[in-house]
Amino acid sequence: MSRKILPRVILNVVIIGFMFIWFLPTLGLLITSFRPAEEVSSTGWWTVFNSPLKFTQFTTENYREVLKKGGMSTAFKNSFIIAIGGTLIPVAVAAFAAFGLSRLHFKGRGLIYGIIISLLVVPLQMTFIPILKIYNTLNLSGTFAGLWLAHTGYGLPFAVFMLHNFFQSLPDDLFEAAYIDGASIWTVFYRLALPLSVPALASLVIFQFLWVWNDLLVALIYLGGFKDVAPLTMRLSSLVGSYGQNWHLLTSAAFISMVVPLIIFFSLQRYFVRGILAGSVKG
Amino acid sequence: MKKGLFALALMVLVVLTFGSTVMAEGKLTVMGVWGGQELDAFMKVVESFEKASGIDVQFEGTRDLPTLLTTRLEAGNPPDVVALTGLGMMKDLAKSGNLVDLTGVLDMETLKEDYNQTWIDLATYKDGMYGLYISADIKSLVWYNPKEFAAKGYEVPSTWEELETLTDKMVANGDTPWSIGLESGAASGWPGTDWIEDIMLRTAGPEVYDQWVNHDISWTDERVRRAFEIFGKIARDPKLVWGGPTAVLATNFGDAANPLFAEPAQAYMHRQASFITSFIKENNPGVVAGEDFDFFPFPSIEEEFGTPVLGAADMISMMNDTPEARAFMNYLATPGAQMIWVGELGKIGINKRINPNVYPDDITRKMAKALQNASVFRFDGSDSMPAAVGSGAFWQGVLDYVGGQDLDSVLEYIEDIADESYTTGKATD
Repeated sequence: MSRKILPRVILNVVIIGFMFIWFLPTLGLLITSFRPAEEVSSTGWWTVFNSPLKFTQFTTENYREVLKKGGMSTAFKNSFIIAIGGTLIPVAVAAFAAFGLSRLHFKGRGLIYGIIISLLVVPLQMTFIPILKIYNTLNLSGTFAGLWLAHTGYGLPFAVFMLHNFFQSLPDDLFEAAYIDGASIWTVFYRLALPLSVPALASLVIFQFLWVWNDLLVALIYLGGFKDVAPLTMRLSSLVGSYGQNWHLLTSAAFISMVVPLIIFFSLQRYFVRGILAGSVKG
Repeated sequence: MKKGLFALALMVLVVLTFGSTVMAEGKLTVMGVWGGQELDAFMKVVESFEKASGIDVQFEGTRDLPTLLTTRLEAGNPPDVVALTGLGMMKDLAKSGNLVDLTGVLDMETLKEDYNQTWIDLATYKDGMYGLYISADIKSLVWYNPKEFAAKGYEVPSTWEELETLTDKMVANGDTPWSIGLESGAASGWPGTDWIEDIMLRTAGPEVYDQWVNHDISWTDERVRRAFEIFGKIARDPKLVWGGPTAVLATNFGDAANPLFAEPAQAYMHRQASFITSFIKENNPGVVAGEDFDFFPFPSIEEEFGTPVLGAADMISMMNDTPEARAFMNYLATPGAQMIWVGELGKIGINKRINPNVYPDDITRKMAKALQNASVFRFDGSDSMPAAVGSGAFWQGVLDYVGGQDLDSVLEYIEDIADESYTTGKATD
């Protein structure tokens, strides 16, 4: 018995140790976000543990200052518009595409799939100028629709890849049975493939949502940093002066922008672990 | 349920595609690096313009202006007006024909009355003027705590000998004269380049300084080496700088003035640009400009070159020749617009008609006077060098040198990068 307990204890200690190391920077950020600006610049955040119960050393001033800055609610709204569109469209398109590529038998599907997958390695920075040129002629630059299309394009290769492998892993018999029972392709997709792939879809939604929510560069290029359309990330980056003044505000701003991804993650996390394994084991 | 979501997404897409409007008439886009207070101040400047003209000004801020601007330019939708970050960038854009010549936009006669010729010359490329300076920051300043100086009987030096005598006296008293901080994230090292530029101006003179910036003389030149050595003598000596080279490398530039205000004082002098006052006030609540902190000009080293001023300036350029952009540029050239900007930020006005009363305190008025009286003004050299040198190898070289690397290898390293990066300059071949 004791032979089995010892490795377990070691394993747990190692895991807890790693968790602590991962968690430490976030903890530091959290504590810093509650400290007054002048103390942030003079002492490290760990010094609060000298007298952890002295609540006067903490302040909510940073949070209040960030929230009272004009345009925060617009920025939140913009971030939501961008992230919802930028998540649903690619996931929906990818679901159709992946189903077609994995479950329908037509000529050249291997080639199409190969091309889509090879797009994974194209750095998105390379695409900025040509796409922006097209957007300018189509009057799409500076619009949410343009940004959604961009995020759809950037997100699709990975989304198709992940869902394709997942659909492949579903047993063939299931689909054959459905067809024999007279189901149309649409019914099979809608009634069979989609409900079965909820874990995969959920983790894809998390991935894509986090990427779009945290994105600054793509929004800056296609949407522009204008107040009316700027997402939260852009708003937060403009809190800091060009010499880095006010950086203490970034700590609280980071936590404010983290709230939404955390909610998404925790509400979908029961699918997440199952989803990560999606498509890894066939049959 | 999934069907509902698709339908919803599709609907939103359609509404936003056709519902959103693209740049309408009477609009003006401005791009700049400003954030925080600077952005608030600029929006105040914009506000009175919008009220008077009815033109809607949209400001787009990014810390990475060169990248965004290049992308937009290539794609064909540059901003109407841009606040460029460096003289080199202005020249590049003017050369490629992307900037509008302001001599045909602004009332040049009034401008010549309002501005010193220096500022017009600085914005001139070939025959055109491609930038309008709205304010300046001066960098050749040494900050000190007058109360501490008085308590210890230290006196403000005006020459390098006096400065050396003063630092000797401080060391003899067991005090640390200087505080330096070079850390600035990815831009670490720049405060050191300001030191070296200031010393170059004072030991070699403005002409050699220009040659150095243009790479007409090599980085391994004796005069460049001497500037590094003078800086190194201070920054590498634990007796002369608070915390020694380790603290110099690890301290953020914004926090580097704090030792002056510690109880008891940990250091007595700090060389930094005028904008450091906002950091001093933020990090040390309660300190009063003029009473708890003040500045003296970075002392002259070689008598023949006097006390030149090193600085930076905010420059606005015009990229699209639209009536709105013309109106905005003409508005920015007025002392009224500039007074809002400098008054909010404590920057130094360049327009001669700016009323000194707009400055927030006596220190700023003193700086404005110092700028107006300066016989020689030079831009921060590292801003004017190619990026690979001015915001790359030079920063890195300063860090390596303070970190203890031998000066020859540091200068050879910068020279190697300079050779690759400059396309002109005598030392390039």
